[in-house]
Amino acid sequence: MLKVDHASVHFEADDGRIVHALDRVSLDIPDNGFVVALGASGCGKSTLLNAIAGFLPLSDGVITLNGKSVVGPGADRGVVFQKDTLLPWKNVIDNVALGLKFAGIPKLEQHRRSAELLKLVGLADFANAFPYELSGGMRQRVGIARALATEPDILLMDEPFGALDSLTREQMQELLVSVWKKTGKRVFFITHSVEEALFLGTQVIVMSPRPGRIVARFDLDFVNRFAESNDAREIKASPEFTNLREEIRALLHGAHDIRSAAE
Amino acid sequence: MSEVLHAGAVSADASRIAPKTVRMKSFGVGSKPTLLISLATAAALIAIWWGITELAVVPRLFLPTPGEVLKQFNIVLRDGYAGASLGEHLSASLFRIVLAAVIAISLGIPLGLLMGLNRWAKGILDTPIEFYWPLPPLSYLPLMIIWLGIGETSKITLLVLAMFAPICLSAQAGVRSLPIERVNAARSLGASRFRLFLNIVLPTALPEILTGIRIALGVGWSTLVAAELIASNRGIGYMIMSASQFLATDVVFVGIAIIAACAFAFGAAVRLFERVLVPWKGKS
Repeated sequence: MLKVDHASVHFEADDGRIVHALDRVSLDIPDNGFVVALGASGCGKSTLLNAIAGFLPLSDGVITLNGKSVVGPGADRGVVFQKDTLLPWKNVIDNVALGLKFAGIPKLEQHRRSAELLKLVGLADFANAFPYELSGGMRQRVGIARALATEPDILLMDEPFGALDSLTREQMQELLVSVWKKTGKRVFFITHSVEEALFLGTQVIVMSPRPGRIVARFDLDFVNRFAESNDAREIKASPEFTNLREEIRALLHGAHDIRSAAE
Repeated sequence: MSEVLHAGAVSADASRIAPKTVRMKSFGVGSKPTLLISLATAAALIAIWWGITELAVVPRLFLPTPGEVLKQFNIVLRDGYAGASLGEHLSASLFRIVLAAVIAISLGIPLGLLMGLNRWAKGILDTPIEFYWPLPPLSYLPLMIIWLGIGETSKITLLVLAMFAPICLSAQAGVRSLPIERVNAARSLGASRFRLFLNIVLPTALPEILTGIRIALGVGWSTLVAAELIASNRGIGYMIMSASQFLATDVVFVGIAIIAACAFAFGAAVRLFERVLVPWKGKS
């Protein structure tokens, strides 16, 4: 279980003002949970992810993973970034094996495990290619394999498909669902796209800016339905899906009003 | 339906005749090769040189013919010049440049990396480097002689000083080009500080460092003649200076050609290194 308990993050902006990027946010990500954070830019969703990853200390509150307090980055939390962060001087398989190399695992074992993960993300034939020879979608698949290699307890994904074209993006979503189902990892996923959030998440949290906080939570089942039926288009076109999509869109556009009403 | 058939007929036609290909006009130089233009220019320059000497526009004493320079090259190659063989002159110069480069690289890379990583190191080292780096080496050459004498030490120190700054500054720039996402990615994969430096920082800075070395070698060759002004009796630079005193213009030309060839060979070697060591450069 990953537990975020009343986490706050305050920055000092360049002009000296204090920015409340995250204000007493609480969140539980259960085993096998796929939690998607949705919101406009500046709502604190990336701040939340950076705090969970350990890149950013909290001003207040606590984050625990399996009861252990998060104090810095570590291989128990795999991160997939929006910008591809593969090392250009290493081929695909050595990029995937990077975390294993840091863990001091022998080369042969590194490659055996990495090859399995490349198969999982459908890149078995590209083990010896270099990142600059791959498309954006393929690079992100390598990024996912790399994050999984150290067998983390949770996968943190910071708008991983944000820079992809919409067709590739949908393929990547379906790939991610199959990876999630096969590995059973917890996932914390950030996106701008309402449709992506609804399709992927077992839970969607909607966030609003200034101060960054969670304004709504939805428990969803679309992703499990997709895993059974394998028909993404049917699910995305269903009235249940489109109605909820519109409801959340309205919520995002009027996030401020709703928040003031709640207070 | 008929339109579809028609379209098929057109494409079948097009495959028989080579289609006219088009391309968007590029701005600036673009990617078309310039090698042939450069070679033609070289040929033209030699032709102009030959033409001027043939027509005797300027006295032979000031501008020898290409043939005379070639002949003089053979004579220098056979008999040597100013008390040493051409091989001895060349190896004296190469020894100075290579030794100075080795020292400048082994000082410049670690100090540059340190300056990119540590605020104190940057603050302290910036002051002397920013002060001396824009100075022409000839301006502090007298100090080198006064402090270090007229032996090899002063020459090599002058070259090291000239070559150190570009290497140091490029190593620093290389560290600064490191994106924070790459650091975070490595840390989230469990990289220790040492691993982060060895496996992430160093390779990231490598392309910039190689560029710095290429620039440093260029600076080194251009400083060499100045360094060899200091009471030398060996070296290509010395050969040129000595020849100029006797108005042996053809020997000056031979010396210039040798330095040009060496500098070009060094540059090409570093480029080759770049292609082998950083094949990803400019591609990601």
